[in-house]
Amino acid sequence: MRIQNISLFSGSQELITMSSSNKEQATNPEVATLWFLAARTMAIAGGELPSVQEAATGLYAQAILGFSEDDCRQAKSPDQIDNKTLIDCLSGVRQLSKELAEKILTGVMMISYADRTMTPLEVRWASMLASAIEVTPDEFQKCCVNARVIASMLRPQGSQS
Amino acid sequence: MTEQETNFHFLERFDKRVAQLAKQAEEYVHTDPDSCMFKLRLMIETMAKKLTELQMRQDISQDLGSMLGALERNGIVPRRQADSMHAIRRDGNAAVHGNPTPVPTAMRRLKEAYNISGWFCKIVKRGSKVKLEHFVEPTPPIPVDQETQQLHTRIEELEDSIEHRRMTTRESLLMFGPHEDIDVVTKRIYDELEALDKVAATAGEPIIDAELVALVMAMDLEQIEEDPRHGGDSRVAKREAEKQLEAIKLHLASREQEFLEERSKLMRNRDDTIDS
Repeated sequence: MRIQNISLFSGSQELITMSSSNKEQATNPEVATLWFLAARTMAIAGGELPSVQEAATGLYAQAILGFSEDDCRQAKSPDQIDNKTLIDCLSGVRQLSKELAEKILTGVMMISYADRTMTPLEVRWASMLASAIEVTPDEFQKCCVNARVIASMLRPQGSQS
Repeated sequence: MTEQETNFHFLERFDKRVAQLAKQAEEYVHTDPDSCMFKLRLMIETMAKKLTELQMRQDISQDLGSMLGALERNGIVPRRQADSMHAIRRDGNAAVHGNPTPVPTAMRRLKEAYNISGWFCKIVKRGSKVKLEHFVEPTPPIPVDQETQQLHTRIEELEDSIEHRRMTTRESLLMFGPHEDIDVVTKRIYDELEALDKVAATAGEPIIDAELVALVMAMDLEQIEEDPRHGGDSRVAKREAEKQLEAIKLHLASREQEFLEERSKLMRNRDDTIDS
């Protein structure tokens, strides 16, 4: 049973609500760990780690996914992330509500757009995530378009004066 | 260190203008810390301009924040140096806007400018060997009384606390945690992803439509927004995302304003004590 209906870009503490009542509820840092794993995998699949992707990851986590600074820091603590594999990540996103999982997919696509190229491994990782989340081609296309839109926003020029 | 001596002699061989600004900042640090910050900010701006001219092909806005952002995004300025440069830019801006700079804050930024200078020399003249000596704090022209010394200690504690809070925010935004060895993690994830890729390919699992991804990536935002299938949704999504990003940026800016107020409060307390 879906408990809460949320818009694609709303940030809220309640985003971690599971889509099914018989699934265990994950804590915010646990979900944030899934986000950081998925995002860094996409960045690594792209071959290099430019700092634009670094900064975009945290901004997306806080602005769009609604995680707090503490959630983001805990998510990357050794006990939280060191023993997590990509299989754990795919299995974890599968357990999330569809809306939240789509937001994570959108963010991951945004990371891949940051340098405006896409390698076969990046396509593979996007494909694996999309399969785990069970998005339709239309839903995936929506994620891609939104990712493209947000990617343009997370590279602001002249915003730090 | 005597009056004639400076920590920044080595800079003259690499950039006379930057060296001159550094020396002026050093001279002012005790007598006029606000002017010290003006000079340091100008020094950083001069460095940033030189680096963008040397290392970047595209036109970059001459605004210091934009230049630093572009240099950092393009991997020309490493994170540690970028953090220090941003700190000098922020405190320089604050001084320009009338917020008094305490001596310990100016001294802290001067030390950071010293460390950045060593790195800068290696960038502007590849292969040059610059071995930084231990930074020697300029001595105050008149001895510091006990009350001022106590204030300086409190300001040092406040600066430590501000730096810690900034670091916490910074860590929360980055892709990797401070304990992680990025090279090791990168290799582990890459190996795992390659293995999964082979399994998926062997199983004949269809991958997502790469052509679609390429098409969307190549589209201009205007095209997306005009597309009847995505236009409405995209515009709404963009507005929502902009609002949420703006909220985070405002939050970060308000934190910096709080830091500035904490520092100004300490300075005001001291001025009130002197007046009474």
